[in-house]
Amino acid sequence: MRVTRIKEIRKETERIKTYILEEKVDAIPGQFVMVWIPDVDEKPLSLSYHKGNMGITVLAQGPFTNKLAELRVGDKVGIRGPFGRGFKIVGDSLLLVGGGVGVPPLAALADEAIQNGKKVTAIVGAITKSELLFVDRLENIGVRVLTCTDDGTCGTKGFTTDVLRDILKKEKFDQCYTCGPEIMMLKVLYEAKKKGIPTQISMERYIKCGIGICGHCIVDGTGQRVCKEGPVFRDVDVEKISEFGKYHRDASGTKIYFRNRK
Amino acid sequence: MLKTEISSIKLKTPLILASGILGTAGTSLKRIVTMGGAGAIVTKSLGISPRSGHKSPTIVKEEKGGLISAIGLANPGYENFKDEIEIAKQGGAPVIGSVYGFSFREYIEVAQGLEDYGVAAVELNLSYPNVGKTGAFYGKHKELSFEVVKAVKESVGIPVIAKLTANVSDIVTVAKSCEDAGCDAITAITALEAMKINVDTGRPVLGNKVGGLSGPCIKPIAVRCVYEIAKEVDVPVIGCGGATTGEDAVEFMMAGASAVQIGTGILTRGITIFKKVSKEMEEILKRGGYKNVGEIIGIAH
Ligand SMILES: Cc1cc2nc3c(=O)[nH]c(=O)nc-3n(C[C@H](O)[C@H](O)[C@H](O)COP(=O)(O)OP(=O)(O)OC[C@H]3O[C@@H](n4cnc5c(N)ncnc54)[C@H](O)[C@@H]3O)c2cc1C
Ligand SMILES: Cc1cc2nc3c(=O)[nH]c(=O)nc-3n(C[C@H](O)[C@H](O)[C@H](O)COP(=O)(O)O)c2cc1C
Ligand code: FES
Repeated sequence: MRVTRIKEIRKETERIKTYILEEKVDAIPGQFVMVWIPDVDEKPLSLSYHKGNMGITVLAQGPFTNKLAELRVGDKVGIRGPFGRGFKIVGDSLLLVGGGVGVPPLAALADEAIQNGKKVTAIVGAITKSELLFVDRLENIGVRVLTCTDDGTCGTKGFTTDVLRDILKKEKFDQCYTCGPEIMMLKVLYEAKKKGIPTQISMERYIKCGIGICGHCIVDGTGQRVCKEGPVFRDVDVEKISEFGKYHRDASGTKIYFRNRK
Repeated sequence: MLKTEISSIKLKTPLILASGILGTAGTSLKRIVTMGGAGAIVTKSLGISPRSGHKSPTIVKEEKGGLISAIGLANPGYENFKDEIEIAKQGGAPVIGSVYGFSFREYIEVAQGLEDYGVAAVELNLSYPNVGKTGAFYGKHKELSFEVVKAVKESVGIPVIAKLTANVSDIVTVAKSCEDAGCDAITAITALEAMKINVDTGRPVLGNKVGGLSGPCIKPIAVRCVYEIAKEVDVPVIGCGGATTGEDAVEFMMAGASAVQIGTGILTRGITIFKKVSKEMEEILKRGGYKNVGEIIGIAH
């Protein structure tokens, strides 16, 4: 456990903030860190900035993330990691599909890909315009961004998968990358596969140790650990994960079934 | 060369997955056998109902060769584990169900349930170091240990293993009480009570403040416990605590263990540690001119 301080806080949307920390990293996009608020809790968060000063981008949605939202510049947090396997850049033309707070690791991937001279298209979706994440950041580095909102306040009215289906009719990509609600990712996988495009998927499961020892993040079918063999999996592996798109386990290990929202 | 037996449980290798390490899902337990090479596996400790465990951090690395963990007995409850045991058994190695309870009645209910689901044996977690008074309670008193073991033993037909803590003034008397109560084997030891404070914040790191220390740094203590227990009891002893290499496993067995559990070692050597350690054990046995691993049990006495 290393302790660092918050260097900068940026308000991204009503409930999402980016925290740039004093500690520097050299990580792979898609990797995550365990962030500790002393006396509160410790939770897994993807790196939204994976080179230089590390950054995390967090939706305030519960006890830990709400507490994080109260912290100020100069406050201390503990860090373990980066952990897990990140995204691998394959080919020259990349398609990123991110929903809600699944965008942060994809933004880090976009940074890396653009630096390596790749062509990047990103489909970014949210419930409403004010919740869209990192559209400017992505556009500023040269990513072509296609937005969509559930209520039609920005971009296409509909889901990321609708935009995806449209673009796949017209264009070809070498590799697809997705992070967001699992039901969305399931559909992304399906659409990309129909067109023969390999997909890399960033999965979320309940993380406790983060280092592959406790077994809480294990997925059925393969018995792999999301914190160690994931969080990014290739489509061929995901197809063997029998629980993908169906259920996950809570803090006790009890199965929780996904509601089919999107 | 490594074939052995504990009570009626047949093992291809004396190396067993320790409870609570990658033991929360059947697919994982199966993988530890098929890919990892474990001779048997122990499930996560199971209780009567789901339990979320302690707040995180649940784990902190102790730089000097170990981990301090305080998962807090997070588990889905034994009834939710029926299917997991079914899957775990597909690995082809004996599945041992780890049981904890906050009363005798709970220990009995879980042990009976797991017997119905087809486990080869139950291991009674008498001593988890970080769940308030309850977890550590039974294993710290020889009378209570006796009563729990006796109660479970009278309620199930499968072998009953008692898992002990070294956080007592005399582990041998507790071991003897468990033997008197009829246990079929003894596992020694579970993680040792420990703590980590972060100096930059002055705060305890673990959500539960105290946790259990495991890994290489506790091995000498575990070997000493196995040695002393094996000297005084007749039932088989299963060594546990920091085993990471073939040499460690052989050392435990020479101290008197009939089998060795591995947990934290997975951190440094991956889940195939069981295969690696088996191979290393065979080399040491060959070097010593032994034909069978049984020959080395307790030779240090
Ligand atoms: C690999 C990984 C990367 C993540 N990256 C981000 C990110 O970049 N930005 C972001 O906002 N969120 C991210 N999350 C989700 C984040 O961990 C949860 O939002 C956070 O743990 C919620 O805690 P809470 O106490 O605020 O809310 P709670 O009310 O406790 O939980 C809210 C939701 O978060 C889930 N959750 C709670 N604890 C954990 C845990 N220990 N592990 C996994 N899920 C948990 C719950 O199942 C629930 O769905 C990531 C999760 C994982 C597994
Ligand atoms: C993350 C973790 C979880 C554990 N959970 C349990 C448990 O549920 N029941 C139990 O009897 N022991 C549990 N233990 C203790 C181990 O089974 C073992 O006794 C201890 O870690 C020493 O062995 P090792 O050094 O090989 O890990 C746990 C240990 C760790 C590290
Ligand atoms: S969170 Fe413990 S193994 Fe992944």
